[in-house]
Amino acid sequence: MKPARFDYARPASLGEAVALLGTRGTVVKCLAGGQSLGPMLNLRLVQPDLLVDITRIPELTRVEEDGDGVLLGACTTHAAIEDGRVPDVTGGVLPAVAQGIAYRAVRSRGTIGGSLAHADPAADWITCLTALGAEIVVHGPSGRRELAVAEFMRGGFETALEADEILEAVRVPRLGAGARWGYYKVNRKPGEFAHAIGAVLHDPERGVCRAVAGATESRPIVIEDASRLVARSDRAAVVELLREGGLGADAYSLQIHAVALERAIRTLS
Amino acid sequence: MTAATVTLTVNGKAVTAAVEPRTHLADFLREQLLLTGTRLGCEHGVCGACTVEIDGQIARACIIFAIACDGAEVRTIEGFDDDPVMARLRQAFTQEHALQCGYCTPGMLIAARDIATRLPEADEARVRVELAGNLCRCTGYAGIVAAVRRVLEERRAAGEAGVSAPSPAVVRGPAAPIPRPAVVAPTVPGMTSAGPDAGMTTLAQSFVVRHPRARVWAMFEDVERVAACMPGAALTEPPRDGHLVGRIAIKLGPMGATFAGAATLALDQAAYRGIIEGSGRDQRSATRAKGRIAYRLIEQGDGATRVEIEVAFALAGPLAQFSRAGIVTDLAGRLTAAFAENLQAQLDAEASGQAAPAPLEAKLDAGGLLFSVLWARLKALFGRS
Repeated sequence: MKPARFDYARPASLGEAVALLGTRGTVVKCLAGGQSLGPMLNLRLVQPDLLVDITRIPELTRVEEDGDGVLLGACTTHAAIEDGRVPDVTGGVLPAVAQGIAYRAVRSRGTIGGSLAHADPAADWITCLTALGAEIVVHGPSGRRELAVAEFMRGGFETALEADEILEAVRVPRLGAGARWGYYKVNRKPGEFAHAIGAVLHDPERGVCRAVAGATESRPIVIEDASRLVARSDRAAVVELLREGGLGADAYSLQIHAVALERAIRTLS
Repeated sequence: MTAATVTLTVNGKAVTAAVEPRTHLADFLREQLLLTGTRLGCEHGVCGACTVEIDGQIARACIIFAIACDGAEVRTIEGFDDDPVMARLRQAFTQEHALQCGYCTPGMLIAARDIATRLPEADEARVRVELAGNLCRCTGYAGIVAAVRRVLEERRAAGEAGVSAPSPAVVRGPAAPIPRPAVVAPTVPGMTSAGPDAGMTTLAQSFVVRHPRARVWAMFEDVERVAACMPGAALTEPPRDGHLVGRIAIKLGPMGATFAGAATLALDQAAYRGIIEGSGRDQRSATRAKGRIAYRLIEQGDGATRVEIEVAFALAGPLAQFSRAGIVTDLAGRLTAAFAENLQAQLDAEASGQAAPAPLEAKLDAGGLLFSVLWARLKALFGRS
């Protein structure tokens, strides 16, 4: 329950951090809030040579709001979002989802960027931000690139990040005035890992009606046009869409994810 | 790995100390500062016994490194002696019988104080949800919930309530019990000599290569070439009479492992079938794995061949307490795709007389069989979402 030995660096700039990540021949890991990495280190599932603490890098804690939405630095904590200490452009979606993540003592340290980069399929942000149509800003040796959250996660614990890239920020779009949101998470105990997540965004002003099934064993399943499901409940259609999305033939998995999605649709408000 | 210097404030006092980077905050507080009120329970962020305050917010001291707290203000249970809210909580814990052995109490009190000050309007449901991150094995929580509610009511009556705390807007948890997952046991007729062993997880995959069966079979007879098509796998000794010695390296996100072991290969040329049975061990995690891969080549017409693969595996050791089929299937799917692509490329090169291309590196491979277990274990252990 004690981590194996590692070195620790706390760079003051993104450039410095990226240079450290590019160190060849060693295992280097970014440390943000450490709420997933910390346990893995303690259990020695992860044994890096060097931990790069990115929490003091100013770009990663910055928050910028404009007409299109808000840019949240990667090290924005779940608690800051829960408490409304950062601007909310989603009519309450982000604070409500943040409040359901793990426990307060975890939310106070855990970060939105860390959760996305860790890419645990059961995490809330990957599903929520996919449904919201958010974008990820990645910083690497050759500069910045942006990609949709839906394109970011490749599989369980696997992302589009290269070894020497850092997730810099998340860009969350401002929802239209009449936007409705539904979210339902199945877990046996508050704060525990989700067994299934359903998320749905109906934003007529922006022409979006998207449903996402999360907490699969891989990346979330996106139903880009869910207007039919929102208009009328149809279990068979939901199951078929999930199957097409690659959820697998496991009857339990299909059932639990279909129910989560249906309940998310029912909570549209 | 040398010790570094950390400067922080603990219970109002400035502290400068040498720490190893791997020393977590709870060990630092207990072992170096002798503040033993902070308890270690699970030591991986599940039980809440080590809850302290860092810069005014509650946090788990066992999964935060002391060195990362440079410049921070840390407050442990010893630092709340003169705090009026904590004084009320201590009294309420006594009145409501909110502790028995007392081991969880320091963490419980700090979490309770966070509720009392941050969520003054919290009702019982909210108190229970907010306390879910602190485990108590004695009280059944009834006394603890009552104590926190008592203090909340006292504070409201005394006009100390501040901001309101709405109940969670997000619906959580199923109303009805969720059925247990069904075990997925795909079967390919005629694939296995015996049925899957009890306790083994099985999965089936298939893919098509655009080459005739005889050519594909010849490739499969060349174990070293086939092994080279498997991402992360390598034979460490030349194969001898169907005896294989090798290793398979696995990477999944931040985790990595290498299983080293031995296997036997049995070929049934008449039926175009083969069975590889073996076992291996990852030294780092001390996890042992055993498994069987059965494959069969089926003519598809148009000179193509379908390769059907059935895998059965089991794990033993500290990491083998849980298993989940879904993520294994997902990973095995990607592994099989990479393997099929490499195999196709090798056969293409052979047919056209070119040099064989270097096999594709796949980021994921049979690690699924280990990491599904790790992942499920982490899932079960860490109350993180």
